[in-house]
Amino acid sequence: MKNFLKKHKWKIIVTVLVLFVLGFTFWYGGNAPGLRGWNAAKSEAASVSASPTASSDISPGPSTAETQVPVSPDAQASAEPAKADESAVPLTSSDHPLSASEKVSLAKSIGGDKSSEGVEKGNTDYSASQGMTINPNTGKDQYQTDPVPSGKPVPVEPQNTTITDKVGTCTLSVRCDTILNNMNLLSKDKWELVPKDGVIFAMSAVSFHEGESVFNVLQREMKRAKIQMEFKNTPMYNSAYIEGINNLYEFDVGELSGWMYKVNGWFPNYGCSRYQLKDGDVVEWVYTCALGKDVGGYCSVGS
Amino acid sequence: MNNRDPFSSYHPVVNFLYFGLVLVFSMVFMHPACLAISLFCAVAYSIYLKGKKAIRFNLLVMLPLFLFAALFNPAFSHEGGTILTYLPSGNPLTLESITYGIAAAAMIISVITWFSCYNEIMTSDKFVYLFGRVIPAMSLILSMTLRFVPKFKAQIKVVSNAQKCVGRDASNGGILQRAKNGMTILSIMMTWVLENAIETADSMKSRGYGLPGRTAFSIYRFDKRDRAAIIYLICIGAYIIAGAALGGLRWRYYPTMKGIVFGAGPLSIYLAYFALCIMPVIINIREDRKWTALQSAA
Repeated sequence: MKNFLKKHKWKIIVTVLVLFVLGFTFWYGGNAPGLRGWNAAKSEAASVSASPTASSDISPGPSTAETQVPVSPDAQASAEPAKADESAVPLTSSDHPLSASEKVSLAKSIGGDKSSEGVEKGNTDYSASQGMTINPNTGKDQYQTDPVPSGKPVPVEPQNTTITDKVGTCTLSVRCDTILNNMNLLSKDKWELVPKDGVIFAMSAVSFHEGESVFNVLQREMKRAKIQMEFKNTPMYNSAYIEGINNLYEFDVGELSGWMYKVNGWFPNYGCSRYQLKDGDVVEWVYTCALGKDVGGYCSVGS
Repeated sequence: MNNRDPFSSYHPVVNFLYFGLVLVFSMVFMHPACLAISLFCAVAYSIYLKGKKAIRFNLLVMLPLFLFAALFNPAFSHEGGTILTYLPSGNPLTLESITYGIAAAAMIISVITWFSCYNEIMTSDKFVYLFGRVIPAMSLILSMTLRFVPKFKAQIKVVSNAQKCVGRDASNGGILQRAKNGMTILSIMMTWVLENAIETADSMKSRGYGLPGRTAFSIYRFDKRDRAAIIYLICIGAYIIAGAALGGLRWRYYPTMKGIVFGAGPLSIYLAYFALCIMPVIINIREDRKWTALQSAA
């Protein structure tokens, strides 16, 4: 034993050193569970009491106090109606970046298998009658879109539409209230970007040309208001994907965060380039910190 | 080894510690002042070491690489608070993405240049001297790998000259014949490489390389001059690390550029960093002066 130690002294020392350096960089890089702002959810109760990650909990409680961001009363009033089962959501219980399927299963475990309240199921017959071409094998159209619920507009491909001179008016707003409850997950460098009331672009009437999509209007208005906005074209879904608005990007507030949009209170199940606007539409862009659960848009066509 | 360079005559520990510190700092510090200091010193030292060759390399390879890397970032990242204009794709072009691209490019260039200086100074015998005891197999492999490219280049010249004598070089004959000849030379080289590696390993083994109790011949002496240099490096390195840990080099690029630039603390860290990076150039210039003074006195 002593001989062995003596013989391999350097190998052992070097191995220990390497392990130590790796461990330190892992910790310093912020990947240790305690540093990412989450509690490894050992039990539901522990995470509820300890983690200030309440997503729809809009009452000024310990969660908002801990994030040290005053929430103005009207922000609370205008936020999405809170639902009991969503009042405390352990955003994630893992110490590594999650894969897509892990995220979905995590989101399922957060609020059961249910969609958000009020989300309707897609209706295949209705969608087909409205002109959606649904593949009977997959149950989706050529751009991976499920049928829309009855009464909702079907996606319109932007390459097939002509933009006319006819001007319509719709209402646009961009807000990020949900971040106010999850400030501890947001990097300190970005705190200054979150408005006190969560309103990045106040609700206002904007005009558009007939045939334009939600994306066209968002892009033009952000440009006009000098608000930074980055998008990526995703040919697979035939739509632009909004990565960030006002330098608040997807995944900035935990693994389940990003931008979502709703029109007349409904979260479409397809991309914003494929939603053709009609006169009087109310378009709202909201930031979610929990795959849409905290804004009432989880699983947009039901499950 | 370049005899003109007195810094390389220091003890290998000094050389290695210097390059270790400078490389790590260059890779870690994203503060613009640090990047500028590191880039300037790296270029200055490489020019001192290699003269015209370094200038040509810096202008022909490094400058285009710098521009490419600097333009690469704003083409793909549109983050940042200051919108300059909009790209044809519809995404914004931001000041922050441009400055971050320049910073990243400066970092890449300075690290590459530092490594080119490292290769001039840390010859493989120095490396084996330092690490031959601790990790014998690893250091032999490393020094063989590092030596491989120049040795391969020299040998390929020998082989191709020999082939030229019998009219079978890659420059003889039609295009098909030339390709064939080139393949033959390559095959010869491959055989030579494999054989050479085994021969080296066998030869080292038969000499008892890495066995406990064996000593190795070395011409390195750790004298007063080296002790002073080590103390200097450790003190200045510790000062920079402490300063950075205390937040003296805080700088962020996104979403808006912000950080500490002026003030006694940061300025002293820049000064220390400059004193660290420029150390070999100062040593060399001082030695050169001494040499010319002695010559003119005689």
